[in-house]
Amino acid sequence: MNGLKRVVITGCGVYSALGDTPAALFDNLAQGKSAVVRAGEDEHFLPTAPAPRDPERFRVLPRTLRRAMAPSACFTAMAGLAALNDSGLTRDDLVALNAGCAVGSTMGSVSALRDGYSLVFSGQSDRLSPMHFFKSASHTTAFNLARTLGLQGAIYSPCSACASGLQAMGLGAALIASGQTEVMFCGGADETGSEVSGSFALMYAHAPAEGDPQESPQPFSAHRKGLVCGEGAGIFCLEEYEHARRRGAHIYGEIVGYASNSGGTGLSQSDAPAIARCMTATCAMAGIAPSDIDYISAHATSTLQGDAAEAAAIRDVFGDSVPVSSLKGHLGHTLGASGPLEMAAVFEMARHNLLIPTRNLRDVADDCAGIDHVTAPREKKIRVFFKNSFAFGGINASLICKINV
Amino acid sequence: MNLTRQEIIEAVNGALVNEMELDPADLAPEKTFFDDLGLDSLDMVDLMIGLQRKFGVSLRENEEIKKVRTLGDVYDFFEKYQAELTRQAEEAKKQAGQPANGQ
Repeated sequence: MNGLKRVVITGCGVYSALGDTPAALFDNLAQGKSAVVRAGEDEHFLPTAPAPRDPERFRVLPRTLRRAMAPSACFTAMAGLAALNDSGLTRDDLVALNAGCAVGSTMGSVSALRDGYSLVFSGQSDRLSPMHFFKSASHTTAFNLARTLGLQGAIYSPCSACASGLQAMGLGAALIASGQTEVMFCGGADETGSEVSGSFALMYAHAPAEGDPQESPQPFSAHRKGLVCGEGAGIFCLEEYEHARRRGAHIYGEIVGYASNSGGTGLSQSDAPAIARCMTATCAMAGIAPSDIDYISAHATSTLQGDAAEAAAIRDVFGDSVPVSSLKGHLGHTLGASGPLEMAAVFEMARHNLLIPTRNLRDVADDCAGIDHVTAPREKKIRVFFKNSFAFGGINASLICKINV
Repeated sequence: MNLTRQEIIEAVNGALVNEMELDPADLAPEKTFFDDLGLDSLDMVDLMIGLQRKFGVSLRENEEIKKVRTLGDVYDFFEKYQAELTRQAEEAKKQAGQPANGQ
């Protein structure tokens, strides 16, 4: 980010089906575990990757906060509290710094929307709580995080489906880089449900109900049949570099490049040339040659068209010299959470010098070939990594992070 | 309805304990909802929604319920409201049993 302030990551928190700390998440990923299970009849027995929703887990949050939170906001708050704790900042620091947040999700909370409409359509509007609005609003993850941490700065909530989380990271980084603030809590969160998985199924983009659920999804595979919806949250503390250095904070890495674009016409179909332009623009902003990237954490969800388009774009920009894997085979597609949540796993990969392979990728599809697929655990030092997130509506987002600043 | 005052107290307190997660030991009649029990106006709306169902009444447009300040006020409200409903029901029964004027 030439000419701008440097932005580093000084805190990390996750809430996921495979762990609620980055270390636990990494351990489960490294063991090749899958979060995928078969859903019940209400979700047509489709494979799904749910995160823990036991209300007892969320009791660490005061009722006055919890009353306005559906699962997506609870996931956010849990990850946000962990990120705050990890950052070493205090709540008083956050107030003094006028810290803000940027947290996105696909549609606020699908379960809260369903609960509210169910009452309305069954003639029970008199049972609607005011909390239905706060639970289901499109910015529920953001303002609930702000209330949980006592943030008094700017609150933003990018609502760009599965790119929401990474766009929130880019937005927070831009605000710090431009000197508007020194600390932002950024990331994404989401919850799945029959409305979400059903939407993908309608478009023939969801993995089938038949067979072993943990054999799905299969990113980049010749046998891929569609994605599996997951849920969770990933929240980072983004901080201006000099501020972080002065207080002796642990620095995970520096966000050195970010770009977002569109093909201009896309609805559900990914656009390989647009993805390539987005990735090239991200490298240009970072001042980093594609050949200097050590690892690409792909968006690859296991859809026929999306994986092929991303592979084509990576082939175009990076050739076959940069290792690529997708964590969707383990976690499912955690939607708006996927970008930050998977980034948290990459920081752990960097700490362990170990690349996690794409789960369920045994036979690389012809239309996904020509790039360096990681199909088995691979020792590798990660100094600079690349993260992709794409979304319906033709939205692409890419971010480059440099480790060991 | 026809609940005793003790049953009304148990129903209201039950909602406060289960939905607002309050400590039963704090639920004395003189306690105010906002200052003593720490609830706010949104909590009060939710509480009333729960009590509507419990007591089978509609409270949304009721002006009297909007005036309650203490827990005791709510007990009194439902006691009076119940008595009023009983009186109205008996009145309606009486009128239904009498021939209409002119017939």
